[in-house]
Amino acid sequence: MIEITGLGKTFTGQDGSAVRALDNVNLSVQDNEFLTVLGPSGCGKTTMLKMIAGLMPWDEGEISIAGNPVRGPGPDRSMVFQNFALLPWSTVLENVAFGLRLRGVSKSEREDRARELISMVGLTGFETKRPGELSGGMQQRVGLARALAVEPKVLLMDEPFGAVDEQTRRLLQEELLSIWERTKVTVVFITHSMEEAVLLGDRVVLMSARPGQISEIVPVPLERPRSSDVGGLERSKEYVEITAYLWERLREMHDEHRAKNPAALNGAGR
Amino acid sequence: MTQRTAVLNTQTHTTPLPMPQRNPQRPAWIRALDSNLTYQIGTFALFALAWQLYGTYWGGLLVPTFTETVIAFVELLGTGEFWEAMFISNQALFIGFALSIIIGVPVGVLLGRFRTMERYSDVYLNILLVTPMAAIIPLLIMSVGFGLLSRVILVTIFAIVMVIVNVRAGVRQVDPTLIQMARSFGASEREIWFRVLIPGALPSIMTGLRLGLGRAVTGMVIVELLMVSLALGGLILEFRGMFNGPGLYATIVAILIEALLLISLAHWLERKAAPWAPNNQKGRGSR
Repeated sequence: MIEITGLGKTFTGQDGSAVRALDNVNLSVQDNEFLTVLGPSGCGKTTMLKMIAGLMPWDEGEISIAGNPVRGPGPDRSMVFQNFALLPWSTVLENVAFGLRLRGVSKSEREDRARELISMVGLTGFETKRPGELSGGMQQRVGLARALAVEPKVLLMDEPFGAVDEQTRRLLQEELLSIWERTKVTVVFITHSMEEAVLLGDRVVLMSARPGQISEIVPVPLERPRSSDVGGLERSKEYVEITAYLWERLREMHDEHRAKNPAALNGAGR
Repeated sequence: MTQRTAVLNTQTHTTPLPMPQRNPQRPAWIRALDSNLTYQIGTFALFALAWQLYGTYWGGLLVPTFTETVIAFVELLGTGEFWEAMFISNQALFIGFALSIIIGVPVGVLLGRFRTMERYSDVYLNILLVTPMAAIIPLLIMSVGFGLLSRVILVTIFAIVMVIVNVRAGVRQVDPTLIQMARSFGASEREIWFRVLIPGALPSIMTGLRLGLGRAVTGMVIVELLMVSLALGGLILEFRGMFNGPGLYATIVAILIEALLLISLAHWLERKAAPWAPNNQKGRGSR
């Protein structure tokens, strides 16, 4: 349903140097699939997501969703941001209803819908709070509720749990799984955590940097639903094997990168 | 505001001899306001005393004493001439200030939103910011004459820079991911302005209005002093011509009081308009 063919993008730096952010990316995402994208920083995974969202132009290739070429943002997609991107002056209710408001849904209707979503992400009772009064985890629940409120076909998530602490992250992952199991929306989920990529995804897209390319797509044969027994899942043989394999591959990429750029500092992605 | 909290802190931590009339049960903000007021009244009394002494012993014809000024001020308030002057001056002030909001806010948002525009406009903004505006008064008179229009234009020119610069700064510090977020939900440029940029820049917009108001008052008086001896500026010139020291000072005091009242009002509005802004919150940290 999401078809990406020959996608390429070159950024020109201020000093005139060209950086190949994406190079010949081909990817197709199935309906109701949960796809995770993993890669070192600078591999263009966020760039690709923004292109799918219609927020960023590209140089070559084509992206289409359900057969319609992407020309800009559309009602079939919504996005969850790493830093939450909540309006600090609006209440939780107004934030969740924001997308609906932009789409011209009447006040009473959008507030009803927003309340539904707020309860779905477990924030009932916080409707009149402002983001500044919430913890990071709660803020991202608001971000998730806002994205789901517009009933997208595709949910685009850009390292959504990267800015919250480990415990909260675990809880949010479980909740996201259970929400996805119920709504069956198509998800493209960017992460830099191997564990997260395996735990959530049907397939893990492994990307490499400079140029940003898909280096491998790894299927995750773990059983669904996963939300009920995340702990057990993490002890399973398949889970351990896949994460170990992904780590091996990331490490190889890192070493190759270092061999090509001896000056690059250890761990520095760009 | 930092001063206010500093005052509070020294009171709670280091005063073994608290002032007896102060009830510790009262809310913190009343106490803070109270103490601030005490200091303000104290310094003012000291200032008035020094003025009185200077006026009595060394003041010449043009430096009246404090009490003379107060009496002249009260007398001034009783004259129709003064209120007419106030009306005429304020006409230019309010129209000019309103214009600088109506023009300044959109221009500021535009410049904050689009970097290229800023590159072209920076020179002109700097000119507006640093040029002594008095220098352009003859130019203004030549082109639009002595009427209300030229006074309004001068007030606008004085005030608008502060509005533009602050609005621009406010828009620029709006988190760019908020704009992306709005776009991802299909927001039009207009919706981005009204739902993201302007609310996000509101604290800075209000600051710009407050600072712009101060400049507008300056512009109002300067234009009357230098261009058309009219209204409040005219009164000042008239009193000076008659060597009426108390009257001169009383007029200045009237202008001062009006300016202070307007600025306090703007300050209050500033805090009222954006209670979510970190600067406007007290003791209400995020978890």
